[in-house]
Amino acid sequence: MSVKTISDVEFGVELPPFQPDTSLRATAAFAEAVGWGRGGRFNDHERARKEGLPGALVPGIMAMGFLTSMIHHWSPVAKVEHIDTVFRAPLLADQPCTISAVVTDIATEEGLVQLDLTVKNSADETRVFGTANVRLPLS
Amino acid sequence: MLDVEELKEKFLNLQFDTKEFSLDADKVATVAKMSGETLPEFTDPNHPDFQVPPAIIASLAAGRHLPIEFPKLGGIPMDGGKAVTCIHPVKVGEPLTGRTHLHDIYAKTGRSGRMVFLVSRMEIFDANGTHVATSDSRMVIREKPAQ
Repeated sequence: MSVKTISDVEFGVELPPFQPDTSLRATAAFAEAVGWGRGGRFNDHERARKEGLPGALVPGIMAMGFLTSMIHHWSPVAKVEHIDTVFRAPLLADQPCTISAVVTDIATEEGLVQLDLTVKNSADETRVFGTANVRLPLS
Repeated sequence: MLDVEELKEKFLNLQFDTKEFSLDADKVATVAKMSGETLPEFTDPNHPDFQVPPAIIASLAAGRHLPIEFPKLGGIPMDGGKAVTCIHPVKVGEPLTGRTHLHDIYAKTGRSGRMVFLVSRMEIFDANGTHVATSDSRMVIREKPAQ
């Protein structure tokens, strides 16, 4: 069920799972669009390995994009007022990741929700984590 | 070893960079779509409320990372994370101005040594001078043991 107002939100609830596209095609397109397309870091596994990386990476801010998208899938009327992401370790392109979010605080009268956010790789290792403050309609 | 307190006293909250930005609607939409966004106000440049998602705001880079007089960093700098505060919708097609200062400097010590965190804050203004968003970039420096 899509969340339409603050009264639809329950403390401790996990947002529905969201499977982001971490393919090299997607990371390359993202990197090109933000002006990071030169070099192979986000678009070429072989060139990334020559730079000493384990492979081409998912840009850190793309993980922020995944988390914002997940919030909008949960509630299309949600306004992300603040999002803070900590890049703990790299995420590799072409490797699936799992993202999750849980409601950790609700200020009902203000229409504000706080979420804890996590991005894990296929080995269940946390690569990115953070928080978001989201505003929802009061009614 | 960097003296964090001295650096704070000398460099915090002093604007060291101003940069103009002009965003391309198609590129903004591409970023949104590649992130898995489906709301048309982020993916469709023809939508009347078309606006910039937080990831684009986080991608805006100042002309320089640190103040010109900032001492050389002895360790390996890494991107430690980004935070974005959205104050008003950021529209595409009008010039934006980013003004950057060092917002915080702090250190954490663990088993592998000390890490110094530099938080660079860019305040983003629209063509009317309205503060529309803020972007924080955390740079982490793992100090070399000998320092």
